[in-house]
Amino acid sequence: MLKRKMFRDIRKNLSQFITIFLMIMIGIMAYAGIESYMDGMTKTADKFYSENNLQDLNVLGYLNHDDLKEIKKIDNVKNAELKLSVSATTDKDRILLLNFIESNNISKFYVYEGVEFDENKSGIWLDNFYCEENDIKIGDTVLVKYGSMELYEKVLGKINVPDHLYDTRDESELYPDRKEFGFAYMSTNEITEDYIKSLVMKKSNISDEKTFEMLMPNFDYKEYIPFSSIMIDVKNNNKRDNVKNAVEDKIENAKAIINIEDTSSYMAYQGEIDEGKTYVGVFSGIFLFIAMLSVITTMTRVVKNQRTQIGTLKALGFSNNKILLHYIEYGLYISIFASMVGLTLGYFVIGNTFVNLEMKFFEIPNGSPSMNVSSYYISVIVILIVAVITYITGRSILKENPAETLRTKIPSIKGNTLNITKKGFFKKLSFSTKWNIRDILRNKIRTFMGLAGVVGCAALIVCALGMFDSMNFFVKLQFEDLYNFDYKLNLKENLADDELKILYDKYGSNTSQSLGIEIRNKDGKRESNNIFVTDANNYVRFVDNKNKIKDKPSDDGIYVTYKLAQTKGYKLGDKITWHIYGDNNYYTSKIIGFNKDPQNQNVSMTRKYLESLEIKYKPDALYTNIDLSETKKIKNIETIQNIESLKEGMTSMLSMMKTMLILIIGIAVILGSVIIYNLGILSYTEKQYQFSTLKVLGFKDEQIENIFIKQNNWIAIISIIIGLPGGFYLTDFLFKTAIEEHYDFGAWISVKTYIISAVGTFIISYIVSKFLSRKIKKIDMVSSLKGNE
Amino acid sequence: MNKLIELKNVKKTYVIGEQKFNALDGINLSINQGEFVVILGPSGAGKSTLLNLLGGMDKATSGDIFIGENNIARYSDKELTRYRANDVGFIFQFYNIMPTLTVEENVNLIKDVTNTSKDSKEILKSVGLLKHVDKFPQELSGGEQQRVSIARAIMKNPKVLLCDEPTGALDSKTGVEVLKLLRKQSDEDTTVIIVTHNALIADIADRVIRIKNGQVEENVLNKHPKNIDEVKW
Repeated sequence: MLKRKMFRDIRKNLSQFITIFLMIMIGIMAYAGIESYMDGMTKTADKFYSENNLQDLNVLGYLNHDDLKEIKKIDNVKNAELKLSVSATTDKDRILLLNFIESNNISKFYVYEGVEFDENKSGIWLDNFYCEENDIKIGDTVLVKYGSMELYEKVLGKINVPDHLYDTRDESELYPDRKEFGFAYMSTNEITEDYIKSLVMKKSNISDEKTFEMLMPNFDYKEYIPFSSIMIDVKNNNKRDNVKNAVEDKIENAKAIINIEDTSSYMAYQGEIDEGKTYVGVFSGIFLFIAMLSVITTMTRVVKNQRTQIGTLKALGFSNNKILLHYIEYGLYISIFASMVGLTLGYFVIGNTFVNLEMKFFEIPNGSPSMNVSSYYISVIVILIVAVITYITGRSILKENPAETLRTKIPSIKGNTLNITKKGFFKKLSFSTKWNIRDILRNKIRTFMGLAGVVGCAALIVCALGMFDSMNFFVKLQFEDLYNFDYKLNLKENLADDELKILYDKYGSNTSQSLGIEIRNKDGKRESNNIFVTDANNYVRFVDNKNKIKDKPSDDGIYVTYKLAQTKGYKLGDKITWHIYGDNNYYTSKIIGFNKDPQNQNVSMTRKYLESLEIKYKPDALYTNIDLSETKKIKNIETIQNIESLKEGMTSMLSMMKTMLILIIGIAVILGSVIIYNLGILSYTEKQYQFSTLKVLGFKDEQIENIFIKQNNWIAIISIIIGLPGGFYLTDFLFKTAIEEHYDFGAWISVKTYIISAVGTFIISYIVSKFLSRKIKKIDMVSSLKGNE
Repeated sequence: MNKLIELKNVKKTYVIGEQKFNALDGINLSINQGEFVVILGPSGAGKSTLLNLLGGMDKATSGDIFIGENNIARYSDKELTRYRANDVGFIFQFYNIMPTLTVEENVNLIKDVTNTSKDSKEILKSVGLLKHVDKFPQELSGGEQQRVSIARAIMKNPKVLLCDEPTGALDSKTGVEVLKLLRKQSDEDTTVIIVTHNALIADIADRVIRIKNGQVEENVLNKHPKNIDEVKW
C-alpha cells in the first residue's frame, strides 16, 4: 500500500520528480560521457600501441645495418628495425612522408584495405586518411618523387601506423591537412640502385661510373641505404634509459635517441588526453556539483512537504524505519533510473560523439568510448547521497512526536535576521522589494542553490565562448603579430652559399634556423628542446607577456619563453648548458630576456649570437612578402607555406573545438534551465499560500507575477555578476593547466562574449520564471488557503 | 436599513469524479448594510462556500449575488479582483498574514491594491496594536495576529467584512476581544458576516442564518442582540 502511495505522490509532484530525474541524469551523463570519451581515447590508443607494437625509442642519425646489428645485441632490446624517412612529392605536388622499411614488426600497419606489408611486394602502403581525401583506391598507381627517383607505385594497402597518429608538415602547422600531406611506406627494395649509387658517388667525390665500379666491384646498394632511424622495442620499459645510454655509447652514427613519448605524434595524442582529463575534472565536476546541490534541495523539500503524512503514518503505528525506508524509496528509484539513463546516454551520445570527432583528427583505428569504472562509482555515490539526504530529513521530522508532526510547521522566522530590513532605507522600499528581500533572508539555502546553479550556468557559457575567443586571439597573435610574413619557404637541407644567394636575391634574406637541442639541467638530467635562430628581422617578431611587440632581440645571449622559464625556474641572467643533437660540444648561454610564444616553449637567439659560438648558421626557412600565390615550385625550396593556409589549419582545429564547446554550452543551458525551473517550483510551492492571500486581498495576477519574477531576476543578475568573472577564471585555469605543455595560452574574452553570456543567462532565467509565473493565474484561492490551514 | 447583499437561487456544484455535490443548493437570502450577521451550520453545510462566493473567491454555478446593485456572480476574473480589492475584507481562522512583513507593513499592504485605504496608524490604534507596529507576526500572540488580520481587512474601508471562524483558533478571552472589534465595525456601518460553529456568537448577532445541506434552514433577525460581555463563553 505504501508503494501505491509513493507512486501516487510521485505522480502528484511529477514536475519536481522530473527535475530530480533530469538533474541526476544530466550530471551523470556529463560525467560518464566525458569520462568514457577520455577513457575511450586512452584505451583505443593503448590497444593500438600494444597490438601494433609501437616502438619505445627512436634512434635518429645516418644509420646502417651494422648499427642495427649492434643495437640488437644490447641488453633489454627485444627488437629493432631500420627506417628511411624522407619528404617526397607526388605528381600533384602533394607531400608524402615516405618511409622505406625492410620489415614491419615494430609499429606494425593496421591495414584497412589491401595486403599486409611484404618486403618482396612492389608497391606502396598509403595513409588511409590521405587515400580518402584524394579518392585513392587499392590498385591505383601513384607517382612518388624523391631526389632523382621517380617511382610509379601500385597502392597495396590503406593503413594506419601507431607512430603516425598525427602528422603535420612542420611545427607551424597546427591542424593536419590530409589532402596535401600524408605518410606512405614502401619496401627498401623499391629504392633504385642508381639513386643510392649516386648518393655514394657524391659522398665519395667520385664523378664517373667506371671509377666507381673499379673501386667498388661488389657494390650492394642495400648496404649503403642511408637509413634515418632505428625503431627499438625494449623488453623492460623501466630499463629503457640503460638502452639509451648503451646506444649512445656504441652507435657513433646516432645523433639523437628519443623516447616515443617525446615524439610529436605521441605527444599530440597524449596532450589531447591530458587536456581532456582536466575537462573531466572541471566540467563534469561542475555539472555534477550543481546538479547535486539542486537535487539535495529538492529532495529535502519533497520530504518536508510530506510532514503531516509522516505524522499520520507514525500515529497509525508505522515504525520509524518503515517510514524512513518508504521515503528513501522516493529518491532511490528515481536516482537509480536517472543514473542508468545518464550512464547510457553519456556513453552513447557524449562519449561516442567526442571520440568520433577525435578520430577525424587522429589516425587511429577502432576508436570507441569506454565506460570508466569511476562513472559507476559516481552513480552509486549520487544514489547514496540522495538516500542519505532523504534519511536525514525524514529522521529530523520523525524525532518530533506524532501530534506535533501532524500540525503544519509554521515557517520559523528569526526576527533578528530580518530586523535590518525594518530600518533605514529599507523602510522606503516597496512592498514587493521588502517581501522578496525577506524571503531571500528566510530561505538562504534555497537562494544559495539557485545562485550556485545560475552562476555555474553563466560561468560555463562564458568559459565555452571564451575558449573560442581566446583561441581566436592567439591565432591573431601567432599569425599576425609574431608572424609578419605572407609566405614561409622551407629550404632544402645543406644548400650551398651560392644556392642561398640566388634565393636571397629573389625573395629577400629574412631567414631562420631551428636546431634540435638537449639541455643539461643542474641535476644532470637532459631534456629535449629546440632553438629558434632568427635572422628574420621584422618578419618573425617577439612579444612580451602582455602581448606587446618587443624590440629587436640582442646578440649577446639567449631568450627563453615565459612558460619554459616558469616551468624550469629560469631567471634573467641564469645560464643554460646545451648541445645540438649530433654534436657533442656543449655551450653555456646566458638568459638575456623572455618572450611569449603561444605554440612552442623553446629557446631563441639571433644569428649573430649563434655565430659568436662558432656554430655555422644554416637557414632552413625563408620568409617573404612577395606574392607567390601562382607559384607552385621553387628550386631548392621543399615547401611553400602561405600564412593564410597556416591560419586555416588553426581555424579547422577551432571548428572541431566548436562542436565540443557547443555541447558544453548545451549542457550548461539545459542544466541551468532545469535548476532555475526546479528552484522556481520550490519557491512557488512555498509561497503559494501567500500568493493566494494576496489574491484574496485584491492583488492583480500581474502584480503577484511581478513579485515572483522580481526575486528570480535578482538571483539571475547577482549570479551573472559572479558568473562572468568566474567564467574568465575558469577559462584561464583550463588554458593554463589543461592545455599541452608546449602551448602558452591564457584567457582572452571579448566584451561581446560577456554580453552574450549575461543576456543569454538572464533570458533563460526570465523565460523560466515567466513560464512558472503562469501558475499564479491558476491559483485556486479557496483550496490553497484551505490546504494551508 | 438598506439592503446590501441579496442572493437569488445561488447554486454551487462540485464535480468529484463522476459524482456531483451541491455545496449550495439554491440559496436565497438578503443582508442589510451595517448588519452583524452570524452564519451557523454543521460541517459541510455550505457555510464556507457561501462566504467564498460572497468574497469573490469562487464563482457560483448558477444564480445571482447582488452586492448593492452589482451582480458579482456575473463578474469576470478581473472584475472580481477589483471587487476583492475595494469592497471586501477577509478575516481567516488562521489569520493568513504575511510572515515576512511587520505589523504595519501587513496593514499598509492594502495601499498596493486600493486608493481608498484608511490611515494605518489610526487603524492599528483602534485595534490596540500601536506598540507592535514594527514586530513580525511570529512575535505576536494568536489574538494579536488576528487583530492584524482585522486591521488589514478594515484598512481598505470595505463594504463587507467576511470572517471565517475568526475566533476558532483563539482562547475565549482573546476571542471576546476580537468579537468586540468586529462588532465595533458593524456599529460603524460595515456589514460583518461571521461564519462559525460556535452557536454562542449568535446571541450577539443582528441576524442569524442557519444553513443545512446547502440551503437556508433559518434566517432570523435578532431583535435584542446581547452585549458581548453578557454572553457566557
